[in-house]
Amino acid sequence: MQNNPAIVAVGRTKFGEHYGKKPEKLIEEAWLTASSRCKLERKNLEACYLSDCFLPITNKLCLEEGFLSELTQLHVPMEVTSSVSAALLAACNAIRAGVYSTVLVGGIEKMTDRWDKIRDDLMLLEDPWSYYAGGTPEANHELMLRAYMKKYGITGDNIEKLSLALAKVAVKNHAQALKNKYAQFHRRITIEQVISARKNARKPLGLYDFAPISDGASALILTNAKLAKKMTDKPIYVLGGSSATDFLTFPSREDLTGFSATRIAMKKALKIANLSSWDIEIAEIYDQSTVMELISLEDLGFCESGTAWKSLRGTCQDYDGYYEVNGKKLFVNTNGGLKADGNPIGATGGAQIYEVFKQLRNEAGERQVTTRNTIPKIGCIQELEGFGTKAYTTILGGETVEQ
Amino acid sequence: MSSEPIERRVSYIGDCLRSCRCSICGKEYFEARDYCGNCGRKSFGKMQNIDLFYDKGTLELCTLVNEPTNKFRKLESYIYGIISFHAGKIRVPGRLTDQILNKNEVIDFSKLEGREVIPRFRRRYSVSPSEVIPTISLAFTLADEYYPHQEYKIIPPTKEYKVPGIVGYGTYTSRFRIKENRIERSVPFIDEDSVTAAVEAGKIALIHSAIDSSQVGKVYVGSESNPYAVKPIASKVAQVLKLGEEEEDMQAVDAVDTEFACKAASSMYKDAASLVNYPESDIKYAMVIGSDNSQAAPRGCPGGELDAFVGYGGSAYIFGKTDVIAEIEGWYSVTSDTPDFWRRDGQPFPLHGGRFTGDPAYFKHVKKASTKLMEKFNLKAEDIDYFVTHQPNPRFPVKVAKQLGFKEDQYAISLKVNKFGNTYSGCSPIGLAAVLDVAQPESRILVTSYGSGAGADSYLLRTTKQIIEKRNRQKINVNSQAENPFIEFVDYTTYRRLKLGM
Repeated sequence: MQNNPAIVAVGRTKFGEHYGKKPEKLIEEAWLTASSRCKLERKNLEACYLSDCFLPITNKLCLEEGFLSELTQLHVPMEVTSSVSAALLAACNAIRAGVYSTVLVGGIEKMTDRWDKIRDDLMLLEDPWSYYAGGTPEANHELMLRAYMKKYGITGDNIEKLSLALAKVAVKNHAQALKNKYAQFHRRITIEQVISARKNARKPLGLYDFAPISDGASALILTNAKLAKKMTDKPIYVLGGSSATDFLTFPSREDLTGFSATRIAMKKALKIANLSSWDIEIAEIYDQSTVMELISLEDLGFCESGTAWKSLRGTCQDYDGYYEVNGKKLFVNTNGGLKADGNPIGATGGAQIYEVFKQLRNEAGERQVTTRNTIPKIGCIQELEGFGTKAYTTILGGETVEQ
Repeated sequence: MSSEPIERRVSYIGDCLRSCRCSICGKEYFEARDYCGNCGRKSFGKMQNIDLFYDKGTLELCTLVNEPTNKFRKLESYIYGIISFHAGKIRVPGRLTDQILNKNEVIDFSKLEGREVIPRFRRRYSVSPSEVIPTISLAFTLADEYYPHQEYKIIPPTKEYKVPGIVGYGTYTSRFRIKENRIERSVPFIDEDSVTAAVEAGKIALIHSAIDSSQVGKVYVGSESNPYAVKPIASKVAQVLKLGEEEEDMQAVDAVDTEFACKAASSMYKDAASLVNYPESDIKYAMVIGSDNSQAAPRGCPGGELDAFVGYGGSAYIFGKTDVIAEIEGWYSVTSDTPDFWRRDGQPFPLHGGRFTGDPAYFKHVKKASTKLMEKFNLKAEDIDYFVTHQPNPRFPVKVAKQLGFKEDQYAISLKVNKFGNTYSGCSPIGLAAVLDVAQPESRILVTSYGSGAGADSYLLRTTKQIIEKRNRQKINVNSQAENPFIEFVDYTTYRRLKLGM
């Protein structure tokens, strides 16, 4: 148990367009914030796990480890992954194995530096054959929605109801982001705006259904349970984490109505944590689109397949900050989600972890959620790479659940 | 800057939609592979290659793309979705092509989903003018519209002929037309060019001939609108249609482009026929394709007079000595250095010699080649059933036919310039195809092509009994493309934009 991984501090930058800042500057800001929020001696860092998805393309920066070494003035082992969740999973494994006791995990992305070429890059990296055939990053989400509607026989009036439920997801996320100073958007939107953007686009999803393109960085300090208490009063433990992989070409996947990688990864993570999805009170879901938030609720096991839209619709009516799923409160994307908090791909997972960390420590300020006046005990994070080609699930828990 | 090796590899798979099937469990994969995920190592060597290029699929799901990625910008907006083949065993992404979407119309996707679609060989996306043009067949048209699906079935030949002749043919024009002064002319969609028309025409010819494409030993492509100054169209045709035996990633076939204005293709018919007739040759079939996105300067510019007549299309003829539908009895060619029409290297549009394009060029050469051929065979105009010639405009072919003594019922069937425009290298071959579509056995056809520069080739053909049985295999012929309820007419501005391409 002494080697159980624990997060002792988190840090992040504001997400959005950081026109004047180099990528190095962003990660510096994030890691310095994290390190200043716990009792950490820089020289005690034994390794760094850094994530970025695009830096070689957007900034012609390879060997990001090198600039992290300059920033930290450390010469420890450093590894690069494509998402913070992947970095965290690798770091947790190392901590559990006793290889390291304290490591830095960070993520960084500078998408706006790529100017207007970013959509082509995103699509090409995400699903090359679909790109060659004329696909766009948005099209796969719309096709998944159509596949979902077809499979669950959503026709007639129900189409409108589903559409409204999805609009409410976007409205909810923008409302949450108002309370998040780091969020990319601080703007309330209305259901009418979401619907009229779709009408203008003549498509099932419109501008307000999708997460933006962002710059940003995030960082966290991970240590083992033995050292955690020395560094902070309230460590947050990684109770379980897992990942799964699916085919790169979306159309060739067995099931087009969801992400089987999420399903597999969540099952494994819950098993490792010895929990069920019922135990989870707060979830940060990878909502690249409103459809993704909806479908991931099913993939993560919170709702029965084909029913999430009904749950959302019911509880979003007068949104109280939570979904009522199976008669139980579930807080989802309290930071505004990718939709409003922003989505600098390689750093996004760090912001999701940041949020759950803060919520479990009762430090989320205006956004702090409670159930019957108690703060949530267990939260989960779902992060995807590509269009569900990889899924990472991480389950975090506060002191009381540490076994 | 795109990467040439990557583009080539994508084209290699994407152009003919190379896929494979495990012969043990039947699982299918898009992209050829060496083993099956289900069956593991026992499936090595048991994967059969299949091309989806000749198949028809079903549009399973679709949505609208109206803000494409940068490279697809010129397509503006299109329907994009997931296409399944073989009852869902393979699913691929694809866009619907040949559609100009109305900017205000709300599309009911459920009316498109479930419909059958056919792969079309098209340009993949825009690149800069100095780069290799990427292509792909993940573009589809609806099977119940302009182009119906035709099955490609190899049928072993039943009859050997002493004289070589036409074994099969195909013509391809686009679904779009511009109509001015009672003349309809075919207009390429924005992702089409002379290369895509050459491949599509060749595909239709293979289906009509029912021969095994691996037995084609040589392919000629005649064009004057090759998008490349250097790089053959024929190599693309050979690779996509898999002409000749496959040797690793090469095709055991000779492929070459020819150029002689509008007779670039028809000039090679005798070469193709001779090649399959040469006793020492192991070439069983030779294919000749004429394809052009006929070039013309915009109206008002020098050379803009041509803009009233140019069309878009291709034709492919397969020559051999089995199951021949029309034997080549003989030919006669004339050539002189008459610069009546030319395009200097690096110039986008051709110029022509005004009134000198008539008498000293077109009429002189067409008449000489035709009369000498008739003399050679001791024939008079009335001994010929059908006369076909090059159709640069609606007036010239009628005038020359009359001067040669032909009557309307002998030449009228072949006149397609009013329907497709002047398709340059594809022009007289499309006229010939119009005749072959309807001719009875034992008909004599005199076809005289003309190429500026100048020269004419006259051929004497005689149809066989097999022309009738093979005709039934064609769903796409000249008439089906000339008179089709799904033809879409465009205005002059759209026509120029589409013609310019992506």
